[in-house]
Amino acid sequence: MDRFIEDSTLKTVCAIVEDLIQDWGLDLEAPVGAATLLVADLDFASVDVIQLCVALEQSYERKLNFQDLLMRDGSYVSDLSLAQVAAHVESRLQQQPRNP
Amino acid sequence: MSVRTLFIGMDGATFTVLDDLVRPGEGGPVMPFLARIFAEGTRCRLRSTPNPLTPPAWVSLMTGRTPGHHGVFDFIRAEEQGEDVYFTLYDSRDCRVETIWSIAGRQQRRVAALNFPFTAPPPKDLNGFMVPGFVPWRHLRRNSAPPDLYDRLKAIPDFNPKELAWDFEQEKQAMEELSSEDRENWVRYHLPREQQWFRIADHLAREEAPDLMAVMFDGVDKLQHQAWLYIDPNQQKGELSDYHRRMRDLCLQYFRQLDGFIERLVAAAGPQAQVFLASDHGFTGTTEVVRINSWLHEKGYLRWREVPDTDQGRRREDSMFAYLDWKNTIAYCRTPSSNGINIRVARQPGETGIAPADYETVRTRLIRDLEALTDPVTGERIITEVHRREDVFPGEAMHDAPDLLLVLRDFGFVSIKNKLPVVEPRAQVAGTHHPDGVFLAYGPGISKGAKIARRKIADVGATLLYSLGLDVPADLEGAVPKAMFTTEHLHEHPVVEGAPTKGASAGSQAAGMAPEEKEQIMAQLQMLGYME
Repeated sequence: MDRFIEDSTLKTVCAIVEDLIQDWGLDLEAPVGAATLLVADLDFASVDVIQLCVALEQSYERKLNFQDLLMRDGSYVSDLSLAQVAAHVESRLQQQPRNP
Repeated sequence: MSVRTLFIGMDGATFTVLDDLVRPGEGGPVMPFLARIFAEGTRCRLRSTPNPLTPPAWVSLMTGRTPGHHGVFDFIRAEEQGEDVYFTLYDSRDCRVETIWSIAGRQQRRVAALNFPFTAPPPKDLNGFMVPGFVPWRHLRRNSAPPDLYDRLKAIPDFNPKELAWDFEQEKQAMEELSSEDRENWVRYHLPREQQWFRIADHLAREEAPDLMAVMFDGVDKLQHQAWLYIDPNQQKGELSDYHRRMRDLCLQYFRQLDGFIERLVAAAGPQAQVFLASDHGFTGTTEVVRINSWLHEKGYLRWREVPDTDQGRRREDSMFAYLDWKNTIAYCRTPSSNGINIRVARQPGETGIAPADYETVRTRLIRDLEALTDPVTGERIITEVHRREDVFPGEAMHDAPDLLLVLRDFGFVSIKNKLPVVEPRAQVAGTHHPDGVFLAYGPGISKGAKIARRKIADVGATLLYSLGLDVPADLEGAVPKAMFTTEHLHEHPVVEGAPTKGASAGSQAAGMAPEEKEQIMAQLQMLGYME
């Protein structure tokens, strides 16, 4: 069951990212997937990370506390894979109720 | 189907400038159509929010509510977390009250709202069209509504999202050193941008004829921040350099183009449409820099953190964020655009700051100290008004506001840099916000040639709902300026107070901002003149 939810979350994350980048004119070496890196592969700037966070929070209709993902040991992470994003979303979905 | 109400926002427009541009000079007025609106419509000054700033002011205009209720106070929302301040950007989800777009939409009025700040992400229940302002081009598609709108816009001849949206990179580069050439390019950059917004508005007005067609042109504000010297009629005296004359011509070209857009939008809306124009605040000149955190340091309220003598340390020192010793800081200013001071109260065990019981005593002492900051030559107060937040931001969102709001003698924004002297004259006058903007009405049912008493910004939202033939919700703080309308119109269409608004939210869900993004946003604020 957990595996199924995780796959579905990753699919959602990938779909949202694909929607986000469709006009950016990126020349991708591989299709968007679990191993895709936001900065290295998709040329994300921090404002794009923010927009992705907003899109995911909207999609799941709840707060997903992305500061826990974006900050580690008091510093901001330099890059993230979509698998890491999906795993974070997954852990939040299990902990947090949907916004009223 | 026809447009019932046309609303044109002009960020930062002021009568100081507009009155000059409608004057018949050599070759006629720069803005002849606006001259006609002045002559045949109604006008008044429009008092902005207590801090006359784009975010709280536009949100007040779009909601008919004051910042203490809608909850948007600044570009950046900051929360203290441990030893640092956690910054996020405000977005539409931070607005705690219903907007006129939603109020009108749920009562079967179709709306089109273009380039208004804090409309991204768009509401799910939007009845009409929305393209947000202050969003980079890469995110316009998913922040536009309905979902197919972006592809429709691409079919408009010469549509260019990169030209339309905020170009963060250009603004960041330009701010590094605003040479004469950079300044000139800055003005040129806004000519095609506004044309892009005009084309979308013209297209939607003609093809869709929404009941409420609303578009905001923000170049007025951006030009005035960087080129006030060339726009303010009071600065055009004496011998002017070639560069000065060239810059003035370029700025006038911008206003001439804007006048043409207004005329064509009024034509596209049709003769039955009531037309309203308003700004979120006015403009004036600022002549000095006030380094408020340096002053707080001098007075013992704030202590700077020691910066190590390394490359990283030097970069940190050049950074635009206050680098503070939190254990020894009890009051500080977070962002220049807030023009506010936050008092640090230790509410939980282990937190630094003053004890809750000391809050009133410390705040009173701080107010007294701020009032005593005077010009050594004239004795005039540098900070002419110091407001407690409960006096200017009453409402359920008040606790997100700074504890004190400051009004400087020249209406400038404070600097938060660690630099002395505390008060320093600027090398040349710069544009800054004035609390009085403009409010104009024109068209059927509007009093002709009337100048009415000053109104407040929340009144615009109420007026637009009234013009759409809707009741004014009972909980709106804005009211319809009846003197703006003819007696016959008011007789046929009485102002009716209706059911209260719906859909209040608890405020933000926004994600945090990485350090480089804080810098980027601060760079934009600097470009707009909010930063030293």
